[in-house]
Amino acid sequence: MLSAIKETLKYSRACARDRFWSSGKAWCRFGSDSTGPVTQRRQGPKPAGPFGLGRIFPDCGVALLDRRMTAALRSAPCLGENADSNADVRILQRFLKETLTSIPDRQPIGGASLKKVLFWCALALVVLITAGALVGTESTRSPSQAGGVDGDAGDRRGALVDQVVFTQESDMGKVSGLIEGGAHQVFAQGITSASVFHRIRDSQKVVSDLSYGSSVELSLNPSGPEFDDGSLNPFHVPAMREAMNRLVNRRYIAEELYGGLAVPRYLPINTAFPDYARLADVARALELKYQHDPRAAADVISETMRELGAVKQDDLWHYDGRPVRLIVLIRTEDERRRVGDYVANLLEDQGFRVERRYRTAEEASRIWIAAPPSSGQWHIYTGGWISTSINRDVAADLAYYYTPRGRAEALWQAYEPDPEFDALADRLQRRDYRSWAERQALMARGLELAMEDSARVWLVDQLNAWPRAENVELAADLAGGTAGSALWPYTLRYRDKVGGNMVLAAPSLLTEPWNPVSGSGWIFDRMILNAIEDSAVMPDPFTGLFWPQRLAGAEVTVEEGVPVNRTLDWLTLETEAEIVVPGDVWIDWDAAEGRFITVEDARGDEPLTARSRIRIRYEDGYLDRYWHDGSQVSMADVLLPWILSYERANEDSELFDPAHVPTFEVHRQHFRGWRIVSESPLIIDVYSDQIYPDAENMVGARVPAVQPWHMLALGIRAERAGDLAFSSNKADRLRVDWLNLVGGPSLRTLDRHLERARDEGFLPFAEVLGPALRDNEIEERYRAIGDWYRDRGHFLVGDGPFYLHSVHAVERSLVLRRFADFPDASDKWLRFTRAEIPELNLDGPLVVERGEGAEFLLRITFEGETYAAEDIEAVRYLLFDGRSELVLRGDAEQNEDGDWYVELSPGQVEMLGTGANSLEFAVTTHRVALPNFATHAFATVPSRRAAQSGDNE
Amino acid sequence: MTTATEGTRAQGLRRDVRRLGLFTAKRLLALFLTILVGVYLTILIANMGGRVDDLRMVQIQGEVSEMVRGDPAFQDMPSEERNALVQRQVDLEVERLRLDQPFIVRSFDYLHRAMLLDLGRAEQMHSDSGSRDVYDIIVERLPATLLLFGTANFLVFFFSVYIALSLSRRYGSMLDRSVIALAPSSAAPAWFYGIFLILLFAFVLPVLPSGGMVQAPPPENPLHYALDVLRHMLLPVLAMFLSQIFISIYSWRTFFLIHSSEDYVEMARAKGLPDNLIERRYILRPTLSPIITSFLLMLIGLWSGAIILEQVFNWPGLGTLLFQAIGHRDTPVIIGSVVIFAYLLAITVFLLDILYAVLDPRIRIGGD
Repeated sequence: MLSAIKETLKYSRACARDRFWSSGKAWCRFGSDSTGPVTQRRQGPKPAGPFGLGRIFPDCGVALLDRRMTAALRSAPCLGENADSNADVRILQRFLKETLTSIPDRQPIGGASLKKVLFWCALALVVLITAGALVGTESTRSPSQAGGVDGDAGDRRGALVDQVVFTQESDMGKVSGLIEGGAHQVFAQGITSASVFHRIRDSQKVVSDLSYGSSVELSLNPSGPEFDDGSLNPFHVPAMREAMNRLVNRRYIAEELYGGLAVPRYLPINTAFPDYARLADVARALELKYQHDPRAAADVISETMRELGAVKQDDLWHYDGRPVRLIVLIRTEDERRRVGDYVANLLEDQGFRVERRYRTAEEASRIWIAAPPSSGQWHIYTGGWISTSINRDVAADLAYYYTPRGRAEALWQAYEPDPEFDALADRLQRRDYRSWAERQALMARGLELAMEDSARVWLVDQLNAWPRAENVELAADLAGGTAGSALWPYTLRYRDKVGGNMVLAAPSLLTEPWNPVSGSGWIFDRMILNAIEDSAVMPDPFTGLFWPQRLAGAEVTVEEGVPVNRTLDWLTLETEAEIVVPGDVWIDWDAAEGRFITVEDARGDEPLTARSRIRIRYEDGYLDRYWHDGSQVSMADVLLPWILSYERANEDSELFDPAHVPTFEVHRQHFRGWRIVSESPLIIDVYSDQIYPDAENMVGARVPAVQPWHMLALGIRAERAGDLAFSSNKADRLRVDWLNLVGGPSLRTLDRHLERARDEGFLPFAEVLGPALRDNEIEERYRAIGDWYRDRGHFLVGDGPFYLHSVHAVERSLVLRRFADFPDASDKWLRFTRAEIPELNLDGPLVVERGEGAEFLLRITFEGETYAAEDIEAVRYLLFDGRSELVLRGDAEQNEDGDWYVELSPGQVEMLGTGANSLEFAVTTHRVALPNFATHAFATVPSRRAAQSGDNE
Repeated sequence: MTTATEGTRAQGLRRDVRRLGLFTAKRLLALFLTILVGVYLTILIANMGGRVDDLRMVQIQGEVSEMVRGDPAFQDMPSEERNALVQRQVDLEVERLRLDQPFIVRSFDYLHRAMLLDLGRAEQMHSDSGSRDVYDIIVERLPATLLLFGTANFLVFFFSVYIALSLSRRYGSMLDRSVIALAPSSAAPAWFYGIFLILLFAFVLPVLPSGGMVQAPPPENPLHYALDVLRHMLLPVLAMFLSQIFISIYSWRTFFLIHSSEDYVEMARAKGLPDNLIERRYILRPTLSPIITSFLLMLIGLWSGAIILEQVFNWPGLGTLLFQAIGHRDTPVIIGSVVIFAYLLAITVFLLDILYAVLDPRIRIGGD
């Protein structure tokens, strides 16, 4: 020990003289003994303590070496355990006295002061960030709204803005601020929060479009009447379920709980879908029948409970001597939490003991879907459903929501619908009807029976508000909003100028890899792809009917007795007694030989029939158009996607994908073949057994997909080589990357395959596609996509009004730019930027004397202009008496001024009796699926003559 | 005599090396077991002891059913055929996710691969550029997290240590009392300050962006890109700084105060040494071990990011990634994040063990 101290002191003196200490590397381990593996005595230049005795000693004053110093030395880290001997300390003291007085006081040097280092580091960081903030503001100013000139949209081709930047923003609280500040122009996320919606509504610079695609209901557990544990489930009884319709106040839910962002819904039909409009009068009658009537509901509930053997004691229902407990499974993510509480409160008021179980979607699904309903884990569940596009035929929903055929899970298997309802729902699902009138009659009866069954009590259709800047407009879909709109890229524009840049925000971007075969299906990714890929037909955002985009027309022929309607005049609809498929029609693909199989090959002389034939006539010059990379469209682009679909379903093919098989089999079930009738103009016949109620949508479903073959060829090569896979499922099976045309490791692989494909002149399925190519097409195509990749950094080539300019995956943004060679005028679809929902003004007498007639006048307008008569589908009226009983229904007539009227004869007025009555109008149009209603209340009173005669008597 | 001394010295060296080796082996083994247990617990928790399998089955069934319901191609099919098709789709997904294997088997497979740092493939998620490899998913987000949290934590660390040192010698001053008074402000998390900062600087005084890492589209000029990133960092860094700085200063100040009252420091003062010298040599140096510990733990703490803060500022970092992974119940991504953190922590702890001995001679192995 002592020797160590001596060494240290000796060293300290030396170092104090030569300033070696300040190197900061001279610290030592210094133990009290020599036994520890780490503790070592060191000779020479490293014997100091953690802050070095040598650093103390040069500054020590001899006068201070007293008892206090001794204690200090004992506690010093270097000596704490070493200075354990008084003798040592005394020696040390003496040594210090002798030695240190001779050493001049010196300041340490070498290595910057740690404090200074700390300070400068912190300061440097602050300066750097502040400079970045200030300079960055100037150098990287947001480009939104830049550019744009006054002009006429009709003089321009393609998109109405020059550039669209997509960015990710999931915080809806920022919406109004970002739009008001001009940083963003459109948000592709529907707002369901009432507070955010009210802020937008109050803003001068922000407006919103509404969509109706989501709905909320109460799923009632049908099991019982007793669960497995012997407890009572009153909702096993249909009357009890039916009574719930009258117990809940849907208007309160819509206006108070949803803050106005919902509309009441009673029936299993979305109130914005065409079927609701078509059945508006039936729907209205049922809505009035099941309107809020808590007293009537309470009577039915009491009666049902007594029939079940329950008794009410102290305002609480008891069964088997125990209070009847109802479990309400309440979803917590949205306003359904409040809906659940509201329903629970109502049931408590009816004398039930209610247990509220708050669960997220995942947690709840284990209970209401996965668990057997008879296990009694829930009685009521606050369910919700979403549709991202307008469904023009919801007839199958009755079977889906109310019968065991809907789904295979335990809940559905517990449904016991009335036999009539069950059979009717089955017919509707199979489209087993011979005429449209028969279908409507089935639907009307089905709705009545659905309300009597009430396995689900529909509450509201929730509105989603899709925000945009006040000076911006676009076509938003009535069900899918902005994100679900196919027409947004064709209609997005500034109202006051042509061109310019925009920033659109979506809650997620590039969620999954993009490829046209089996890539991302996320709605926000699809939204962007809608701008990059043009389509032959476009869905009407307000009716769901398809309009032609690249078609000159279509001829739809169906078997006689098949109920199909035609609404629009761009196509024709005919019937034939039998549709025989010609022998030269392609019905299959021979993967081994690489050729199409015709009907004749497949069936020989045996004739093949189909329920429909659709002749699709493309516009002139369809094959003269250009892809984004500058290459010209050819027949190979039409053929390859079809071949690829068959290859992917063939187990012998290298492109076989098990995940594709189920969907393909559905296609095979109804597909009866196709053929190319003509290449210039391009005409294609498609034969199928699948029927849709609308001829327009049959065409939409049968139009072949067209993709640039050279883009697909790279993917085909990569999948065959086992490097990439088109689908997620196959990628995981092979443990390779899911093919992504716009980013990630796929790009390097595709680039490699591009090089080889170019060298080899690779053409997939060359025997079939070869004759469909232009001269030198292979070489030109690969050169074009190679240049494209070098310029843009991705392989996604389309033909839409925008091309993908750049992708910034980590920064969560991408840039679309206007495709200058797009063939259409920019104003082609602008008529769809506003939903022409009719505005109704109903006028008529407030008091009608019995014995007299009455006339009621309905004025239908849109933005002040009279609604065109040809756009009005029907104006129906319903007359209810004072007891809300339906007395009369019919169609209104149009007068010379274009207004609609209903005349009630004295006899019809007499039928109402005396009291308050109401006349309801339901107006449906061809422009928008959403029906509109107007109500006029009036009183019927005894005639004055009768009254006077009564007085005289 | 010399030979004997050398022999003793060699013997001591061998003994030291043996002890050092034994210590290292024991320490590494202990850390390995800690990681093993920690990762397996993570696997169990992330999968809720296997209950997640049930959730996934229901989720898959629901998703496929809804997909079929919304696809017009599936309409007018007999329900039996449609449900059979749904079941086939469900089976494919079950097979892909290996849900047909017992969870306990999968859990050990997860563990085995995690311990070998074979991060594997994500089940649901992708990297931003589309890769399914967990490694790519994590590495892609790492720079953003390191940049943001590294900057903020370095600022907090350096400022707080610097200011705390100063305050420790101005004990009781107005500044000292102010810092003490402000220390409770750190009870509010950074995202809380973030909301107010966004409101103030992005909306009331629209001078800074409300979120994101860079403007959209990102500037093509690298310098402008860097400046724009700095601009976007300002608010989140400020939020973290405000949230942590006062409590950090308070904490270090208290720490330094304790060490400032040591007898050897008193002695130095009594000697009349300058304050700077006392701070540097008598206070800072003996406290280097805890300072370095704190610094290193801060460094590896960057790994986990901050979930809510990243959400508030729309920052594409690891916190957001972990949040998404938990939401998707993507076990490989969760395990990947945790196992890397665990290994980093273990390495840091091991290095600290060595560093402590280097920095502080009072710390020894073996004792006595």
